[in-house]
Amino acid sequence: MLLIHCPYCDETLPEPEFAYAGEAHIARPADPMALSDEEWRDFLFIRSNPRGNHFERWRHVNGCGRFFNAVRDTVSDKFAMTYRAGEPRPNLDALKEAAE
Amino acid sequence: MSQPFRIAGHGRVDHAQPVRFTFDGRTVEGRRGDTVASALLANGIHLMGRSFKYHRPRGVVSAGSEEPNALIGTSRGPGRFEPNTRATMQEVRQGLTAESQNKWPSLSFDVGAINDRLGRFIPAGFYYKTFKWPRSFWDKVYEPFIRQAAGLGKSPTEADPDHYASRHLHCDVLIVGGGPAGLAAALAAGQSGAETVLVDEQAEIGGTLLSEPGVRIEGQGAWDWLAAALAELRTMPNVRLMSRTTAIGYYHQNMVGLCERLTDHLDVLPEGAPRERLWRVRAGQVVLAQGAIEKPLVFDGNDRPGVMLAGAAQTFLHRFGVKVGNRVAVVTSHDSAWHGAFDLAHAGVKVAAIVDVRAEVPRVLTARAEALGIEVLTGHTVTGTTGRLRVATVRVNPVQGGRVGAGRTIACDALLMCGGWTPSLHLFSHTKGSLAWDAEAGAFLPDRKTEECEIAGAGRGLWGVAAALEDGARAGAAAAKAPGRVAGVGTFAVEGDRTGSGVVAKELPTDRDAGLAKAFIDFQNDVTAKDIRLAVREGMRSIEHVKRYTTNGMATDQGKLSNINGLMIAADALGKEAPAVGLTTFRPPYTPTTFGALANLRKGRHFEVTRRTAIDAWAEATGAVFEPVSLWRRAWYFPQAGEDMHKAVARECRAVRTAVGMFDASTLGKIEVMGPDAATFLERMYTNPWAKLQPGRCRYGLLLGEDGFIRDDGVIGRLAADKFHVTTTTGGAARVLNMMEDYLQTEWPDLDVWLTSTTEQWAVVALQGPNARKLLEPLVEGLDLSDDAFPHMAVVECTVAGFPARLFRVSFTGELGFEVNVPARHGRALWEALWQAGQAHGVVPYGTETMHVLRAEKGFIIVGQDTDGTVTPQDAGLGWAIGKAKTDFVGKRSLARPDIVAKGRKQLVGLLTEDPAVVLEEGAQIVADPNQPIPMTMIGHVTSSYWSEALGRSIAMALVEGGRDRMGEVLHIPMPGRTLRAKVTVPNFVDPDGQKLKV
Amino acid sequence: MTAQIHSFPRSTAVAVTVLPLEARFSLRLRAASREAAEAALGLPLPDRIGRTSEQGGRRALCLGPDEWRLDVPAAEAAAVAGALEGGIPHALVEVTDREVTFLIEGPGSLDLLAIGIARDVRRLEVGRGARTVFDGVQAVLVREGEERFTLAVWRSYASHVEELLRQGAREIALGL
Repeated sequence: MLLIHCPYCDETLPEPEFAYAGEAHIARPADPMALSDEEWRDFLFIRSNPRGNHFERWRHVNGCGRFFNAVRDTVSDKFAMTYRAGEPRPNLDALKEAAE
Repeated sequence: MSQPFRIAGHGRVDHAQPVRFTFDGRTVEGRRGDTVASALLANGIHLMGRSFKYHRPRGVVSAGSEEPNALIGTSRGPGRFEPNTRATMQEVRQGLTAESQNKWPSLSFDVGAINDRLGRFIPAGFYYKTFKWPRSFWDKVYEPFIRQAAGLGKSPTEADPDHYASRHLHCDVLIVGGGPAGLAAALAAGQSGAETVLVDEQAEIGGTLLSEPGVRIEGQGAWDWLAAALAELRTMPNVRLMSRTTAIGYYHQNMVGLCERLTDHLDVLPEGAPRERLWRVRAGQVVLAQGAIEKPLVFDGNDRPGVMLAGAAQTFLHRFGVKVGNRVAVVTSHDSAWHGAFDLAHAGVKVAAIVDVRAEVPRVLTARAEALGIEVLTGHTVTGTTGRLRVATVRVNPVQGGRVGAGRTIACDALLMCGGWTPSLHLFSHTKGSLAWDAEAGAFLPDRKTEECEIAGAGRGLWGVAAALEDGARAGAAAAKAPGRVAGVGTFAVEGDRTGSGVVAKELPTDRDAGLAKAFIDFQNDVTAKDIRLAVREGMRSIEHVKRYTTNGMATDQGKLSNINGLMIAADALGKEAPAVGLTTFRPPYTPTTFGALANLRKGRHFEVTRRTAIDAWAEATGAVFEPVSLWRRAWYFPQAGEDMHKAVARECRAVRTAVGMFDASTLGKIEVMGPDAATFLERMYTNPWAKLQPGRCRYGLLLGEDGFIRDDGVIGRLAADKFHVTTTTGGAARVLNMMEDYLQTEWPDLDVWLTSTTEQWAVVALQGPNARKLLEPLVEGLDLSDDAFPHMAVVECTVAGFPARLFRVSFTGELGFEVNVPARHGRALWEALWQAGQAHGVVPYGTETMHVLRAEKGFIIVGQDTDGTVTPQDAGLGWAIGKAKTDFVGKRSLARPDIVAKGRKQLVGLLTEDPAVVLEEGAQIVADPNQPIPMTMIGHVTSSYWSEALGRSIAMALVEGGRDRMGEVLHIPMPGRTLRAKVTVPNFVDPDGQKLKV
Repeated sequence: MTAQIHSFPRSTAVAVTVLPLEARFSLRLRAASREAAEAALGLPLPDRIGRTSEQGGRRALCLGPDEWRLDVPAAEAAAVAGALEGGIPHALVEVTDREVTFLIEGPGSLDLLAIGIARDVRRLEVGRGARTVFDGVQAVLVREGEERFTLAVWRSYASHVEELLRQGAREIALGL
């Protein structure tokens, strides 16, 4: 059971309050009908699936209800950080420096 | 009973309190504080079980939870039988029934022991090599044989009447292990003010100190110091001490699972007491002070009853006042066994000899042994034992320059062995913390940590009470370190400490044919040294392969005694160093844990939540049969006397089609969509147009995923310009709300609209049938229910039977229909009011089965039954539900993808069997040509199939490739023994023009 | 509606009762509308998740950045339901019947909650609340006093939760 920091509640809380919600920073195209079949396929199905830091979405579904973003290491399962939906993708190098 | 091996007044058991229990039917007397193992040993009983594969007689090897041999069945009445309980952990209680395992007809004479004679024919990998062919032998010969041979003990056959508890716990410092290191850590952490929890799996906290009464700490005897330390800890409000509590798993972010045994030691079960409690502890810091586990030595006959670990004998002596024999011999590669031998000699046990595989042993030890009259045989090996059900002699040989000299036998009734100590790092391994081989300690020690934890004492290779205390205090202080907290590192003056060292041995050298030796490594799985060497000869190179091929370390003790011995021998056979061969992985749980503890509250009726509606109790009282629908239980049908399901459903169907039925529709998901942008939001989410829907009107809504496939559907009513009452499927309610929230929060946060789940705010009663209006009219105030004033797909807020209501005119049956929503507290009262009013109109209650039949007669889909996540609106014949003028909605772009517009997709059609009496099986596969060779090309499957009472024949719906181009075509449904024929038709069987709705 | 007293073990350790229904609403609006809504409702709306406010018998608990639970006397339900009409973009939905609220009080209340709640309830300050999970069931927990909590769950889950609370209370009374 992981502990997850909700950036809206500003509290670190147990995993049962949260639900995973897929990869982050994949915005729905403003005009889907303008996309080629290949572009739409990529939007629908193609995900980065990295070994290591993954930008992903969680929802504090049994809490404040908000979707938010997180950086989590897919090898260790550890969260590097969480941040609010709509905020830009954080710079991982800066993150690493801050941790050191 | 005499207890000939009990030493009066010795040990920590209560000699004034006899406790009687039975072992294999024989009454045995122990003392309060005994384990089953210690009580049996006190009575001179060493034979406690038979081994798993060879059925060899076995006795107790250890005194703790690592015990591989002394596994017993325990019982305290029906349903309270537990197999594979370690006799070294089960405390005696009055009336306990214990039995040995893997024996028939009796423990001392066992027919299965023939396997032992045949042992040379069932080596490692035997099963893999033997049970291969012929294939036909599997069912009749091999599987029964393997099942017969496999497993330890018997499974209980009755339901477990006990219940189990669950508790979450949060603390600053969790300390696992209550020996000197753990105690010192607890004192340091506790004194700092940190919230500290100390857990120990034994009945008594104290660890090694319980077996080392001769050590003096701070000028006190070890037991006095222990009592004082525990007393001090108990006075601290920030410290919690938990005995009989095993840390079973170490999970992410310092979550540790504990299993606390609450009642297994009690003579009388307190009424309503849980048997065990599973704790989920979240700790800021964890201190692992689990000590070390003594290793057996590997030699021929090392599994004979009476051969045990030297440290275990020391524990039985000091903790339980039990001598394990009258004339013992010792074989060791480590100093610690010498001390155990000295303690036994002091207690009056004749120590026949101490055999040490090392040529050089500290002079202080040999001198002491000689002074006690013990024969010292350094530079010797053990090459065999004798004794049928208990060791009688041990054969010892000198070793010089690698050559084994002539053997001689020494008579003994117990043989104590010590191959050194393995730091207990199982929990540390659960965290994927890495281990590194320490040549000096001859052990794997903790290396890289992944969690906020400290390892203290023997766990990191520190031997002796002084070192453990000092290191525990250090670890406790480090773990407690936090802003505002001061943790001092205590120092401890220790006298009489017994530090020591040893060498790591593989199997002991012998002058006999090693191929004939039964030198066991894994006692529980009957793995011998030669099995490991065979595995390496047969090509296993990785220790993981050796483990699986030989099953070494795969029994319930997870190789606590065997892993390192197995590794040393594998490494030797491979010609590599131990660290190059590596260790296998330990996984939770640390020791076998009951399913009851793991399930805890989720047992019986609480295995899963059962959601009930406000009308559920009425249905139950009326004799409804229920079915689960997602987490809900729903009335399935309402049988009357003498009716089976078919008859009840037929009657319910007839009543709805000819009179009126009432149905509890409360479980439908309901979402209040409210705000100025409510219509805009629904336009984007659903395929249908909403902007022009007038308040007071409803529309069927179809929800797709972005991939274009149907996710959910339901009627949506517009109550006001900015307020919609959205309904979803019962199972889809939470999913749909989550999906809507996702789009709203992350794609369109600019929209002023909010979603509130009202599923449980409203109880819903559906009235369906030609008499529905007549039934309802008198109960509705100030509202014209006529078709002109309140037509199909109208909605209004009004009063029904005196309750505030949202009244929908909708139909999921094809009949005139209404759905009445009232606040849930009034659901039962509304239902009963309608029931009363309906008596004059032939009302019947109906359940989900009738609902399914009636909707299928109309061809209405059930999402998840007639769709499967690959069905588009066009596939389902719901193209009409797509707003043609809409430029975008969730899933629209996908409806133009090449494979979605391609010909030949599976489409929903009706099927009418040629034989009208035959009801097809849902899920049955459909083929175009029944004469094609197997495997046939399947072109679809039946999704819904029922007996239609209205038509007096069966009906079905199916997803069939190019289905709508096959109207009138006969398709085939191959079933066991016969092939059924059915004609493709439009899926709308009753009142296809919808005349019945226009009344 | 009268309070339903259930047959929980009335040990000194912890008592569980079901609170009578008054009126409960879910209020949703943007931060920009908060002051206007406060004026219309006659009730401050706390802007931090978990905080509560009370005024004139009305009470608000902030559950999310744009979400409040309002508890008001039953007699004021209609007045509150209409209070925000016109002008303020919002959603105000009555959910009185959606939920069953348990009152848990006594020295054993923290232990009892810990049978099903994974978060550290001790750290919840008096007068604050949170939406969380009790044994897999979503619940809203409010700490009314040091040893006094309310736990609200959706109606259909209530019997499951009540039975577990009863079992837990019995276990705590045994002192094992």
